[in-house]
Amino acid sequence: MRFRLSDIFVSYALTILLLLCFEVTTATILPLLGWYEYRLTFNVIVIIFFAIRLNMSFVPWMILGLQLIHSVFSIEGWAVGTFAGLGVMILASYLKDLIHLTNALMTMIVAIVFQTFWYLLVTFIICLKISSFDSFTSILWSFLPSSLFLSLIAPLIFWSLEKIWKTSNDFSHSGVEI
Amino acid sequence: MKLLHESSKTKILNGLVVMIVAVLGISQKKFTIGESSYFHLLLAELTSPVQEGLSSSKRHVVSLWNNYIAIVNTAKYNTILKKKISRLENDLFSMEEIRKENLRLKQLLSFVEESPQQKILAQVVGWDSSNEFRVIRLNKGSSHGIKTMAAVVTDQGLVGYVYRVTPNYSDVLTILDQNNRVDVLVERTRTHGIVEGILNFKCILKYITKNEPVEVGDKLMTAGVGGIYPKGIKVGMITDISRENFGMTLNIEVEPAVDFHKLEEVIVLTSPSEDLLHQDPLSSVTDVLVEDKEVK
Repeated sequence: MRFRLSDIFVSYALTILLLLCFEVTTATILPLLGWYEYRLTFNVIVIIFFAIRLNMSFVPWMILGLQLIHSVFSIEGWAVGTFAGLGVMILASYLKDLIHLTNALMTMIVAIVFQTFWYLLVTFIICLKISSFDSFTSILWSFLPSSLFLSLIAPLIFWSLEKIWKTSNDFSHSGVEI
Repeated sequence: MKLLHESSKTKILNGLVVMIVAVLGISQKKFTIGESSYFHLLLAELTSPVQEGLSSSKRHVVSLWNNYIAIVNTAKYNTILKKKISRLENDLFSMEEIRKENLRLKQLLSFVEESPQQKILAQVVGWDSSNEFRVIRLNKGSSHGIKTMAAVVTDQGLVGYVYRVTPNYSDVLTILDQNNRVDVLVERTRTHGIVEGILNFKCILKYITKNEPVEVGDKLMTAGVGGIYPKGIKVGMITDISRENFGMTLNIEVEPAVDFHKLEEVIVLTSPSEDLLHQDPLSSVTDVLVEDKEVK
């Protein structure tokens, strides 16, 4: 996949705008509608898209940027999600040949697999930070409903991001055109 | 245009640098007290008004729905309501007299009971966007006198404490969050314990030994230890006690006193002093709520 540097700036700015809308939806609109129990962590899906679909050397920095935006809306901060995002990126590079987002079902499956990996990493780090693994399963369990829902809408989010980044289904070429 | 092919070395190097930055960030991260960077302050100040606007628009939408859309049988109710109005007007006259008397008495009371703790009424404008944290965002910040570690309450009981502040907004780590630990007293037995959040809008009471005579229905209040929460604020009620065969302590589930599903307004108690740690703040808090309703 080839990218022009100017296009990258525009696409990245649009992605940030989309993420801001998602974050406001999760932090304000859904609780206003009575959805308090679970948060839809859209940033995870966006970062999974970055890890899978964008083959650029500075994707790690982009993930860091997205997590900085997320940290405004969550006390989780940027560091844990950045670490998990890089973990997802490494996993995606190993599974690259197996990932073919040919239809919505495949996208959902890929989204749930990578989300599970993400949440395992995040839960592990949080438990390390709070020096207690008592709530490991309860934290992990709390992710399940929202991750299932996010997987269901992942094709739509991926489609939007595909439009923003103008990515094709071809993974064979990688490069930056400037 | 020149085409630069991705160098795997550059990608690995970038990944490594960001990974090191992230690990350093994780090691510095505290889930109990937050620090606001300029980036965070700027973005929070830019996005929070949107959240505040959305929160306040809910009332307008509900009002629009109730007043214009969901009006069925209006004419019939109109006649009934007119009769009610004439009766209520009579009641209102006597209520007005009581209100004036109440204000006078309150002024008299405040003359003798001056609480050094500042109480700031704030509205909830947002929730944390992550599943693993239970944090609320308020529409008041440092410019209104709110400081980090200030206790946050409602007339129902304890909400949490201020985790981080920006000039106009503040984030509150609620007692539902697993990072928030509240030193409590069981009201009936005076047993000390620690309340921690467990994500599903409930809490657990820890470090209560098996020989303590605690029961389902026992009420918990803040112990006033630690300097964040004043003593005597309602925290919750014991709803379940399970005794495992192993271990020295009980597994106790606690229902918070505050209904977090209906949380709209809270009171931030700032500048806690030593005297207040032994005062019952809820009486004065209720006063503030009453006053605020009157102002509205």
